[in-house]
Amino acid sequence: MIQIENLKKSFKTEEVETLALNNVNLKVEEGEFVAIMGPSGCGKSTLLNIIGMLDNPNEGYYHFDGQEVGGLKENQRTKIRKGNLGFVFQSFNLIDELTVFENVELPLIYLNMKKSEREQKVRAVLERMKIAHREKHFPQQLSGGQQQRVAIARAVVTNAKLILADEPTGNLDSKNGIEVMNLLTELNQEGTTIVMVTHSDRDSHYAHRVINLFDGQIVTESQNKPFEIGV
Amino acid sequence: MFKNHLKIAWRSLKKQPFFTFLNTFGLAVGMAGGLLISLFIYDELSFDNMFTDADRIYRIDVENKNGGEINRYASVAPLLGPTLHRDYSQIEMVTRFRNSNSKLIRRNDVQQNVKEDHVIGVDTTFFDMFGLELLVGDTQTALKDANTLILTKTAAEKHFGLNDALGQHLLVDNEEVYTVTGVIEDMPKNSFLRNHTVFISMASFDDAESIRWSNWNFPTFIKLIPNANIESLQTPLSTIYETYMIPWIQTFNPGYTIEDFRERRKTTGNYMKWSTIALPDIHLYSNDIEDELSPNSDIQNVYILSFIGIFLILLACVNFMNLSTAHSLKRAKEVGIRKTLGSDRLGLIRQFLTEAGLVSFVSLLLAIVIGVVFLPFFNELSGKAISIPFGSPFFWLVLIFATILLGLFSGSYPAFFLSRFMPVKVLKGGGESSVGGGKIRNSLVVFQFAISVFLIISTLVVFQQLEFIQNKDLGFQKDQVLILEDTDAAGNQLMAFKQEVKQLGQVKQASLSSFLPTPSARSTITFFAEGDSLSNGKIFGKWKVDHDYVSTLDMEIIAGRDFDRQFTTDSTAIILNESAVAMFDIEPNQAIGMRITNDFAPRDKGNMTFFTVIGVIKNFHFESLRNNINAMSLSLGSNSNRMVVKLNAGDFSKTISSIEDIWNAIAPGQPFNYYFMDDSFNETYKAEQRLGRIFITFTILSILIACLGLFGLAAFNAEKRTKEIGVRKVLGASINQITYKLTIDFLKLVGVAILISMPLGWYAMNRWLEDFSYRIEIGWQVFALAAFLAIIISIVTVSYQSIKAAVVNPIKSLRTE
Repeated sequence: MIQIENLKKSFKTEEVETLALNNVNLKVEEGEFVAIMGPSGCGKSTLLNIIGMLDNPNEGYYHFDGQEVGGLKENQRTKIRKGNLGFVFQSFNLIDELTVFENVELPLIYLNMKKSEREQKVRAVLERMKIAHREKHFPQQLSGGQQQRVAIARAVVTNAKLILADEPTGNLDSKNGIEVMNLLTELNQEGTTIVMVTHSDRDSHYAHRVINLFDGQIVTESQNKPFEIGV
Repeated sequence: MFKNHLKIAWRSLKKQPFFTFLNTFGLAVGMAGGLLISLFIYDELSFDNMFTDADRIYRIDVENKNGGEINRYASVAPLLGPTLHRDYSQIEMVTRFRNSNSKLIRRNDVQQNVKEDHVIGVDTTFFDMFGLELLVGDTQTALKDANTLILTKTAAEKHFGLNDALGQHLLVDNEEVYTVTGVIEDMPKNSFLRNHTVFISMASFDDAESIRWSNWNFPTFIKLIPNANIESLQTPLSTIYETYMIPWIQTFNPGYTIEDFRERRKTTGNYMKWSTIALPDIHLYSNDIEDELSPNSDIQNVYILSFIGIFLILLACVNFMNLSTAHSLKRAKEVGIRKTLGSDRLGLIRQFLTEAGLVSFVSLLLAIVIGVVFLPFFNELSGKAISIPFGSPFFWLVLIFATILLGLFSGSYPAFFLSRFMPVKVLKGGGESSVGGGKIRNSLVVFQFAISVFLIISTLVVFQQLEFIQNKDLGFQKDQVLILEDTDAAGNQLMAFKQEVKQLGQVKQASLSSFLPTPSARSTITFFAEGDSLSNGKIFGKWKVDHDYVSTLDMEIIAGRDFDRQFTTDSTAIILNESAVAMFDIEPNQAIGMRITNDFAPRDKGNMTFFTVIGVIKNFHFESLRNNINAMSLSLGSNSNRMVVKLNAGDFSKTISSIEDIWNAIAPGQPFNYYFMDDSFNETYKAEQRLGRIFITFTILSILIACLGLFGLAAFNAEKRTKEIGVRKVLGASINQITYKLTIDFLKLVGVAILISMPLGWYAMNRWLEDFSYRIEIGWQVFALAAFLAIIISIVTVSYQSIKAAVVNPIKSLRTE
């Protein structure tokens, strides 16, 4: 599904050029659950942003589903992103002015889906995330765990093939964190590919594969044993 | 999608009441100002358009250059209109008016006179020309006979009642009996006849059929036949002098040929030029012209107000842009999420435009409320009686269209700006560094303050000029001078009345004359120096005064002497002003003893009447200070309709009632009308005073809007720098240092604005002052004061937010991360 070769990304300010990613090669198969780990500033998020087509690399190739997307313009990237990719952020990033229902509905609106169909899909996913009773609430009225469940609901409502999670448990206590991880695992078992950036050893154990980044390069890659859910 | 946009727009507005308030209120104030100004301009532009065939009606004006002086008149000789009608087929019809000023009018059976201020003579074609109908009476016959008149509804009701007026008799100026032959609807408020209440038949005026081409007393309107071009009259108008006037002058100058006249004109540079002005143009484009039927406005005022209106709305839009983009810190996250979820830029632009549209519609509602509340004040300010045409669909259409346009315009930059955010940057919470747009916001603040400072400068200059006019040495004393009007009504008791008034202890001096340095009677006559040919006349004012005139008004004789009762020969004496002396190319001293005449009789006959110049009076201002002082003369005469009374300081109301007592004893039943000369003087500068008030009002408005914007920006800035302030405080910065730091950034912008607006203000106001022959120099103090005001106002606006941010405990501000 994802094939990255010799990827380079640097950030320039007036005086310094920082190399965020240096010759990264990475392959993610459909249905995989990959965790990216590493210390602060090692380029995890940059890599995730490029995978999520929120940013372009300076050099190298990025094939998504067989299509080269590394050099696309913003509008073209948006088109591919729509419906294919779901995002889950550490800080949830829900729109404060919209209710739970409306937040989850938003990606469907951008897909120009009919209203009745949207309602049906949103209801189903809210049920599944066990947050349906809160659909009329605004994000600020929810706990962190609930907000992240809404965010996940929003990520999967389009039946996205790939979910990109950027420290999804970073702002949660351990109980809520485990709940979120279980949800992601569940989605993965149903066939959704997941790429997750995390600091947490515990969370990384949910993944099939852990990639360690250091100073913009992949230093180690390790396979995890299939993990018991609920530990 | 649109519903979604609207929903989120509404909620995000609701969530930020402070910003929403600043935004809507600022915009509403701008829109309300724009609305009122638009109504004003609409009214100004609508003048005289209500008359049928207004587009085919023109007035004939004449410009006369004589001895270096150029005068323009809205009235021509009585023969001109009918003659042109006879000779040129493109003229369908001609209507002449005859200026007649105010008259005392009463019913036969009533003692008490009523003063009608605007009485005018009109031709029988009056109704056909302007498409007017009579409420009572027959338009075919109403103005046919001498000593008939028609009244407006208001005037008719005053004297008789609407339905009883027809056929009744009225005594005019206590002498002549007129029959009421019709009642007409009151003239429209936005017409050149708006003040006129009594229309007298032209047949009642002796000079209506006069063949004197020099008698310029008849405002004359022509109507062209349909599809005729006014250009086709240019040649006829340019040949009036040679075709009609010269033959008439030759009748009493038999020896002169056309070539003689041409030669004479060439050497003197004198000319007479006839021109036309379209009826709807009269109100705005006919300035500096004598004998107007109603005071006109000036297209310049329309321009000035348009500029102010556009400024106001621009200011409000800029506010909107500024606050919206500043506020974007809060919106950046939302933009990021939406983009991540698949919204394209266009969708976001639409969303923000929807939001701007929503704000502008809310502002519109608020603006209408503000407009309604301030309409009476605005009417007073502008001297109009405008109402908001709520019943007109056109009005609403324009309003809604303008609002949408305004929303799109003010929302365009924020939409463009906000939709540009990159999700990668804003979603990581990197906030401030990624928002940007600071340069544009700063330039917008500079723009706003530049306009405000410009308006402050303009206001100061207008008021300084008014102050200058108020205190200028006019060459006569206007203070403590009482003017009694319509003293004619005392008949042969007038002199006795004057003597009795002079006896009053509180009265210093009194004089009888219809001619005053403030608006009153004027008469211009052609004079010839002894020995000069008829083609070498000098046209200047001839004021009939009495022996006490110069002393009553404290004028200064700079050569020769004043009129003196000791010299019986003074009945043919004349006093010239400096400008008149200059027309003869001599010095004041040389003028004494010179003989001049206004006799058109052939020069060889020898029995002409001459005036002997006995004195030269220092130039005094008898027209607006906009104009140079024209040539004029004083000579003795009776038959005066005004009495000038110079009072001693003291209780004026007591003095006035003493004078009234004398009047009532001498002229029972005649109205006692009086006013103070300085009031009348101030009236002359009403337009300037109005402009001053308009400037000050809209300056305050624009400053208010600019301050709203600055206030919002300061709040935003303080919020953005919360962390920085916290860190600085932890490191030991004092509250004062923080406040200073936050304030100085804005003051720099205001400084730039001041630098930009100064040359603009200097240039624009010098252009305005050019209209005045007598004017101030714009001093550095004006600019210093304007700068000082702008700085003080912005410090006050910004410091609240700065201090608020500076006193916050740093632990709190650092925790917000």
